[in-house]
Amino acid sequence: MNAPLSAFPPATLAETSAAKVSSVLPKVRFSLRARGELIPLEQALGVALPRKIGETVKGAVEVACLGPDEWLVLAAEAAPVAGACAEVYAALPHSLVEISAREVTFVIEGTRAAELMTIGCARDIDALKVGSARRTLFDGATVTLWRDAEDRFRMDVWNSFAPHLLHLLQVGARELAAESV
Amino acid sequence: MQEIWGGLETTSQNKFPSLKFDIGAVNDGAYMLFSAGFYYKTFMWPRSFWDKVYEPFIRAAAGLGVSPTEEDPDSYASRNLHCDVLIVGAGPSGIAAARVAAEAGLKVVLVDENAEAGGTLLSEPQAQIDGAAAWDWLAAELAALKAAGVKVMTRTTAIGYYHQNLIGLCERLTDHLPNLPADTPRERLWRVRAKQVVLAQGALEKPLVFHGNDRPGVMLAGSAQTYLNRYGVLVGQRPVVLTSHDSAWYAAFDLSDAGAKVQAIADTRGSVNEELLAGARQRGIPVKLGRTATATKGRLRVSSIRLNPVSGGKVGSGEDIACDAVLMSGGWTPSLHLFSHTKGTLAWDDDRTTFLPERTPEDCVIAGASRGLWGIEAVLNDGAEKGREVVAALGKSAGAHAYGVAQDRPGTGVSHKELPTDRSAGKAKAFVDYQNDVTAKDLRLAVREGMRSIEHVKRYTTNGMATDQGKMSNINGLNIAADALGRKQPSVGLTTFRPPYTPTSFGAFAGYHRGGHFEVTRKTQIDLWAEEHGAVFEPVGQWRRAWYFPQAGEDMEAAVSRECKATRASVGIFDASTLGKIEVVGPDAVEFMNRMYTNPWTKLAPGRCRYGLLCGDDGFIRDDGVIGRMGQDKFHVTTTTGGAARVLNMMEDYLQTEWPDLNVWLTSTTEQWSTVALNGPNAAKLLAPLVEGVELTEEAFPHMSCVECSVAGMPARLFRVSFTGEIGFEVNVPAPMGRKLWEALWEAGQEFNITAYGTETMHVLRAEKGYIIVGQDTDGTVTPYDAGMGWSVGKAKPDFVGKRGLARPDLVAEGRKQLVGLLTEDGSKLEEGAQIVFDPKQAIPMTMVGHVTSSYHSDAAGRPIALALVQGGHGRMGETVHIPMPDRTIAAKITSTIFVDPENARLKI
Repeated sequence: MNAPLSAFPPATLAETSAAKVSSVLPKVRFSLRARGELIPLEQALGVALPRKIGETVKGAVEVACLGPDEWLVLAAEAAPVAGACAEVYAALPHSLVEISAREVTFVIEGTRAAELMTIGCARDIDALKVGSARRTLFDGATVTLWRDAEDRFRMDVWNSFAPHLLHLLQVGARELAAESV
Repeated sequence: MQEIWGGLETTSQNKFPSLKFDIGAVNDGAYMLFSAGFYYKTFMWPRSFWDKVYEPFIRAAAGLGVSPTEEDPDSYASRNLHCDVLIVGAGPSGIAAARVAAEAGLKVVLVDENAEAGGTLLSEPQAQIDGAAAWDWLAAELAALKAAGVKVMTRTTAIGYYHQNLIGLCERLTDHLPNLPADTPRERLWRVRAKQVVLAQGALEKPLVFHGNDRPGVMLAGSAQTYLNRYGVLVGQRPVVLTSHDSAWYAAFDLSDAGAKVQAIADTRGSVNEELLAGARQRGIPVKLGRTATATKGRLRVSSIRLNPVSGGKVGSGEDIACDAVLMSGGWTPSLHLFSHTKGTLAWDDDRTTFLPERTPEDCVIAGASRGLWGIEAVLNDGAEKGREVVAALGKSAGAHAYGVAQDRPGTGVSHKELPTDRSAGKAKAFVDYQNDVTAKDLRLAVREGMRSIEHVKRYTTNGMATDQGKMSNINGLNIAADALGRKQPSVGLTTFRPPYTPTSFGAFAGYHRGGHFEVTRKTQIDLWAEEHGAVFEPVGQWRRAWYFPQAGEDMEAAVSRECKATRASVGIFDASTLGKIEVVGPDAVEFMNRMYTNPWTKLAPGRCRYGLLCGDDGFIRDDGVIGRMGQDKFHVTTTTGGAARVLNMMEDYLQTEWPDLNVWLTSTTEQWSTVALNGPNAAKLLAPLVEGVELTEEAFPHMSCVECSVAGMPARLFRVSFTGEIGFEVNVPAPMGRKLWEALWEAGQEFNITAYGTETMHVLRAEKGYIIVGQDTDGTVTPYDAGMGWSVGKAKPDFVGKRGLARPDLVAEGRKQLVGLLTEDGSKLEEGAQIVFDPKQAIPMTMVGHVTSSYHSDAAGRPIALALVQGGHGRMGETVHIPMPDRTIAAKITSTIFVDPENARLKI
């Protein structure tokens, strides 16, 4: 019942001299929405919620601020987070919706991982700071793109879009590797 | 430009039916037939001849190339690129600008459409830049740029300049290679977003317009110079140079120095710079000033040119000069294409008889020859200056550098209309547009026939409409049209430059989006099971859904009939995962639901669900779905498959703009859940043993209930709903568990002969019950009342989206089209979309009063059934309407929309 859920079992899905793409076991994910004085929720979650879109924190849970009243919360287990937040609902009404099963996570890493991102994402990849995350488009599909290191990204994508995006990542990883740079 | 390599196969265009007998060469005898506008005047009638006879002939004769019938075997790619400064054109101006920007520490991209960077420097090796020979300087400079981090891209054409400094580049990667490397696309489209752009595209040489200027061997002087200096090809041993610009004199000198015997330099001007005359004297080249050209001779190659002196506007007698090439130059047109894409304004320069760039709304500067400068030193220093401008615009500073160039070739020239002749101008074949075979007299004819704007002249003659988009012909054409009209060029106008700058392959635009990657195909977690069980699929929005599950020997009709019967007889299983789902949470959730949907929600208890109808503010139906109240502050909303994203957007729109005060939030959960529907008299029997947490009885879990429980050991949201009129359940489990759930139900259902059904059976079963499909039985003009669903409108609610719209006079008027059932008198199945009339005997065109929206064969009803929108239909029960078809007119009786079990007795467990 608490087994991690993924439509893509963990595996290496592409590996070239340019980049490696793999699916990883997802964490428990929640979409958190709230506004006003956030202290009760911060106490419940055990982290200070970042206020600037794109900022992340990592503590008891990992949180990315995706919008002015929106956070993505990653946790090891669902029940403690849901329980703690439910306890402060009366004090601070909010929406905490589990979306663990909604999407899969790809990790894209390697010397040219950042360039691989440019084949599908119109944002300036160089301007994305390490340790930041944002909702953006990749090949037309909505994704959450995390930059975990200069050469490592995490991409959360809805289940049904994942094969399409994975195909482009695979083609791109081969294309970059074939370039004589 | 196609680079050549050993083994490359090329074929010639413009050679119908063969290179040696071009039908266009009918000119020699019958050319007076083919005047401007000839195609329009002659080939317009009869209309039916256009597609099959005239157009193919014209296209073949025009040499427009052959469209391949095979699928493109190549692959194409695309990337995004961000930079501080994009420089278009890697000639001297572009390189100088790049140097300045790179030294300021900016991220610089320098692109050039040619195989090598260098632009004009490649054709002018004699120049000495800051003491270094041009090619040495170029090599050192490019190395320095690369070392400074500048991305230098060759074989890369900037094809279009779009809003906010988005520039499209097409990079050609493999066309020049005899062997294709693996995993390498043929072309790559770059979408560049540059903070500043420097346009340094240079200038394009114009031909001179005179009779016989299309003969093989007549070519641009600059081309001859490039052939010689860059590729080592001497285009003629005995060339004549014909020019109105200084630049062609240097071409003559270079060819002469390479061993050609230049027969003459003929200049249209009466006097030229003494330095040029000295250069000619020194090489023993005869000089003829104040000349016009009036003819050329030679069949497959030019053998002589006829030159005449011009003085006081009078053309003297001609003199034939033997030659094997004519190198012409009508001066240079600044390349303003990309500048014009920016909506940049142009200003006419009377001295230079050309348009020059004026203002652009983009963060863009234009440098060098593309803004009318001439000479390497001038354009180098201008490039550096423009580089400093963009560096300053980006808040940085750069030092000044003045380039000094020895052996430079600055110069000037004049621009002409067609050259004067002593023969009949009306019979001259003086080409302006070589690709579209437009001559000077065609342009004058267009003016005589009433064309006043250059836009009309262009369309009438097709001048500038070939693949070069007027690069060679625009200014010459304008000069001639302006002369014919007796007006200045700017008042006649310049046609608009539109992207792409050069013809660009469809593949480059498509990029990765072809074949299986053409568009995302969304599949559910149960899709693979359906595939393994022989399902036929249909696309629904981006999703592919199982349409029906044919067994051996079954066609669609047989499969659907079996699926329908099996579901009503025992139990059917259906993948409903694609339904849109939205979690609505917050203290104001119920208030939000009251405002969005037509229905009232306040009294809906947690654990119960209700069918919801969503209107636009115009009062017309937009979407529908069953909505469960999972808790006091929590709703599980379902939408139609195609409506999921649209409905969420509409809700967010209202929430953020109209009701920001509401404490409620929306989360898309469409893909959080896999949804499996079980319908049929044995549905509860099948499901009950698998469910923990609720008893599936009429008392504990009545129709329109919902609960969080466990199904087959999986956490689930269970709904008791029916879209078939049978006992029905929808089981939602976390998406990746979908197939496991499906297989558990399939296994447990074997004792009930469980049958998998697809969307077609779902459509039939719901139609038998009169349940609408939004978008099929509604079309954006149907209100809840029109659909016979006034019961879903909460009349006591103070407001909801669409309430005001529904009160509009035309929405409450009598005689609106209303949804009814139709049963044909002859028992035939109607065609969906067929129009309906009241009186089949009325005169044609008949008054149409509605149309058939849904039509199926129904085993449960024992006959075909249909739903239709009919004017005033609710008040016409029992009346007969008529459906005229091509072969006959079908009579049908208006009935209720419910064809099966109107008492809903079958819903009971």
